[in-house]
Amino acid sequence: MSERLPRGVETLLRFGLPSDQREPIAGDLLEEYVARVRRDGELRARAAVWAEAARIAWRFRLEKTVRGRPLPPISDEVRRAGMWDRVRQDVTFGVRMLRRQPGFTVVAVLALAMGIGANTAIFSVVDAVLWRALPFPGADEIVALGEARPREGRVKGPVAPADFYDWRRDSTSFTAMAAYDEVAINLTGAGEPERLRVLSVTPGFLSAIGIGPALGRDFTADEETQGRHRVVLLTESLWRRRFGADGAIVGRTVALDNHGYEVVGVLPERFWWPTRPDMLVPLALDEHDRTLRAAHFLDVVGRRRSGVSFEQARGEMAVIGARLSADFPAENANHTTSVLPLRDALVGDTRTALLVLLGAVGLVLLTACANVATLLLARATTRQKELAIRMAVGGARGRIVQQMLTESVVLATAGGAVGLLLAVWSIEALRRILPAQFSALPGIDQLGLDARVLIAAFIVSLITGLAFGVAPALVATDQRVGSTLNEGARGTSGGAGGRRLRSTLVVAELALSLVLLVGAGLLTASFWKLTDVSPGFRPDQLVTTRLALPSARYPDHARAAAFYQTLLDRLRILPGIERASATSAPPFSGFDGRLNLEVEDREIESPIPVRAHPRVVSPDYFQTMSIPLVRGRVFNDRDTADAPQVAIINQSAVKRFWPGRNPLGERISVGTPTRWMEVVGVVGDVKHDGLDAETTPEVYIPFKQEFTALGNGLIRGLSLVVRSGSDVASIAPLIRSAVASVDDQQPVGLIRPMDDLIAQSVAPRRLNLLLLSVFALVAVTLTAAGLYGVMAYLVAQRTREIGVRMALGATPSSVLRLVLRQAGGMTLAGMLIGLASAYVFGRYLTSLLFQVSAADPAVYAVVSLILGTVALLAIVIPCSRATRVDPLTALREP
Amino acid sequence: MSEIPTLGEFEQVVLLAILRLGDDAYAVAVQNEILRCTGRDVSRGSIYITLDRLETKGYLRSRLADPTPERGGRAKRYYTLRPAAVEALKESRRALVALWRGLEAKLA
Repeated sequence: MSERLPRGVETLLRFGLPSDQREPIAGDLLEEYVARVRRDGELRARAAVWAEAARIAWRFRLEKTVRGRPLPPISDEVRRAGMWDRVRQDVTFGVRMLRRQPGFTVVAVLALAMGIGANTAIFSVVDAVLWRALPFPGADEIVALGEARPREGRVKGPVAPADFYDWRRDSTSFTAMAAYDEVAINLTGAGEPERLRVLSVTPGFLSAIGIGPALGRDFTADEETQGRHRVVLLTESLWRRRFGADGAIVGRTVALDNHGYEVVGVLPERFWWPTRPDMLVPLALDEHDRTLRAAHFLDVVGRRRSGVSFEQARGEMAVIGARLSADFPAENANHTTSVLPLRDALVGDTRTALLVLLGAVGLVLLTACANVATLLLARATTRQKELAIRMAVGGARGRIVQQMLTESVVLATAGGAVGLLLAVWSIEALRRILPAQFSALPGIDQLGLDARVLIAAFIVSLITGLAFGVAPALVATDQRVGSTLNEGARGTSGGAGGRRLRSTLVVAELALSLVLLVGAGLLTASFWKLTDVSPGFRPDQLVTTRLALPSARYPDHARAAAFYQTLLDRLRILPGIERASATSAPPFSGFDGRLNLEVEDREIESPIPVRAHPRVVSPDYFQTMSIPLVRGRVFNDRDTADAPQVAIINQSAVKRFWPGRNPLGERISVGTPTRWMEVVGVVGDVKHDGLDAETTPEVYIPFKQEFTALGNGLIRGLSLVVRSGSDVASIAPLIRSAVASVDDQQPVGLIRPMDDLIAQSVAPRRLNLLLLSVFALVAVTLTAAGLYGVMAYLVAQRTREIGVRMALGATPSSVLRLVLRQAGGMTLAGMLIGLASAYVFGRYLTSLLFQVSAADPAVYAVVSLILGTVALLAIVIPCSRATRVDPLTALREP
Repeated sequence: MSEIPTLGEFEQVVLLAILRLGDDAYAVAVQNEILRCTGRDVSRGSIYITLDRLETKGYLRSRLADPTPERGGRAKRYYTLRPAAVEALKESRRALVALWRGLEAKLA
């Protein structure tokens, strides 16, 4: 006869009663039941206890409905206090356990710190650039407008002036629409002449971005007309630096390019624009320039009217664009308008790179989690007894799991704290290596640990703690109490479940590492391919700097050309300088432009507009740059203003417009009005926009010959390219003094080696590569440690078995095979899963790759080889230990 | 007027039974004591609910005794009165006695 309630009654009580009543009531019922069995026999006693239990459960159910509150009669405060007590107790206990095993704790905290630190650092960048509000009021309403040429694959391009004025006149979706252009203006007069970055804007620009002047006023509508445009808005920093924060500056006149400009206002300190201008001037085009539809050089921003959705604004602009295409087919055929949220326009391609990096650090964190989970499982072995005893004396599994999870979270929090230190350091390091291109990204100035980043780090730590803690806690507590206690000193860490989980975790680590390694491998291969690309000229020992002659002192082409001629003549005779030339657009400088191209007596068949990039150069430019001459001749000193007009084209132009023909002797014209120039030579292609960019048709024009109405502007802003035997530091003063000797009012900007410009052009790729490689390295290190740990544990666990085998005559090599089979199985599984995942995720990398397929077999092979080798190294020690097991010692162990 | 909330009739019965049982007041004993004194065989469910309710109201204090083998290792919940219960019982008695006074003749 059992002293137990019938099973069904137990169940009924479990579900029908509040927890704190269950035990005493069950006890009461049992007491009565036992007495009844003796008195009335089991059957009747059973029926009675059933009825009684049902009545009691029913009463409690009723009571709950009547009182309308949950069953447990313990008051809420008491319950809550109890919960906090438990948490506090768990935390204290957790900290004590971690301090007792400093080796384990240090390793786990470091692994987590790397994961959390890297995540925090990358999150801070992604958050600043992609997610934090732009520094403009109502930033959601600001859009960037552009001209798109879908047939040429161009999503957003600069806008022609005539198109802009039509858009502004005809659209109704915007409260403000403004065009802007970046120019350089020389600040003269007081003190050293200085070249300033100037944003030339149409009135309405400040309304569009929602910022008003701190002092004075905004530009008025009539200040975009020539003659009234000599007004300027200073930025706060320039006002402070150059004018001593003079409160009475408004109304004063400053000299810009030798013209007097009236200061009408000062911008507030919070004014920010990607190009970091020093001042704003009105964009005042003359009557001719306003009618240009083929010259695209303006950027446009607008602010949506409230109540007009983004789609509506886009729709209206599409209609306007279509009408302009129909009205001006010669210039605007195949053009559409593009409307993008301002952030998308500012961030551009960087978004993909940032998200890829964020994904990559996420994988690193997962690897760290898996790693710590294996450590926790191993540690659970040593705590097997403790857990078994606690459960034997009635500790609820849920309670023990909760306690183990608290320990994991304590561990993760410690990891998070150290991770934050790592993050502070990494962000500082990142800030220093960020390529110059990044300085134009929003939020990059405020990069750092702010509340959002801290909260994110905290949440990541918490989730991490739960993620790596939950599986080990469940496995460790899933045991038959008796079996563990009976098993003697030999723990089995949750038995088969634990072993399986460990292997799974290591397989996962291997797979994650492989994905990261493949990513790093693909970027490395791309980078190699890229740096292998010849720029088309010899960049070493070449320096360049930009000059901008003011139109006030150089009103016509001849005078500007004379300045450059004199300057180049003086430079060439200086010691150390081998060659000196000038060009309107040196490669990797960002200066460019393109104009319609015509060939005399021939219509060029082309689905897309026939355009070429003009380059105004001094005669020996090609020799200075070491650009090879393919055909015909280069320019010489006889190609003057009075001589017949000539031009040189590059090979891309030949390929596009003279396929299978000889262009020499043909006459071409670039831009408007038509002015024929004879093609006298063909030179090699130069990578103008970057090593990864396509080469485009280029037309070189000797700087003394005026080729278009725009040429006047082109020649005033030329870059010097100087080849010398010495370094920049010694060459720069020579260039500066030479310029000053020709015109002491002419400032010289930054003088930079061409190698630097090329390095800068690949810097974002280099950064992606660097970061992804670091992440992959961390993941591989963690994985190797995890694999080593698991194998060492498995060998230790099978010591007795191995001992028996060896006592029965197994050779060391057969034992080695046994262990290797296990390690090899895991490694192979991990790598296969990793390769498959890498193949799936690879496509997100496509836009970051250069001439490498996301499924490049060579990269996959090399990377697998690397990880395989690392895995082999990680298991060498455990394997050799297995072969050296002494049968006697192993068998004598308890 | 007294601020002590009045007790329900069954609540009085249960509290008095506990008081009578002294150190031995647990649900089964309370039920038996009520049966013995009043002849009323109340359901166990009502006893549990009332005990629970009185404890929530702050009239009772309970403690779990050590588990005993005959109860399958389950603890017994013993109840004792808090001072508030004694006050409430006194008040109920005062009210009833006051109401009864002078009625003996009519109800004899």
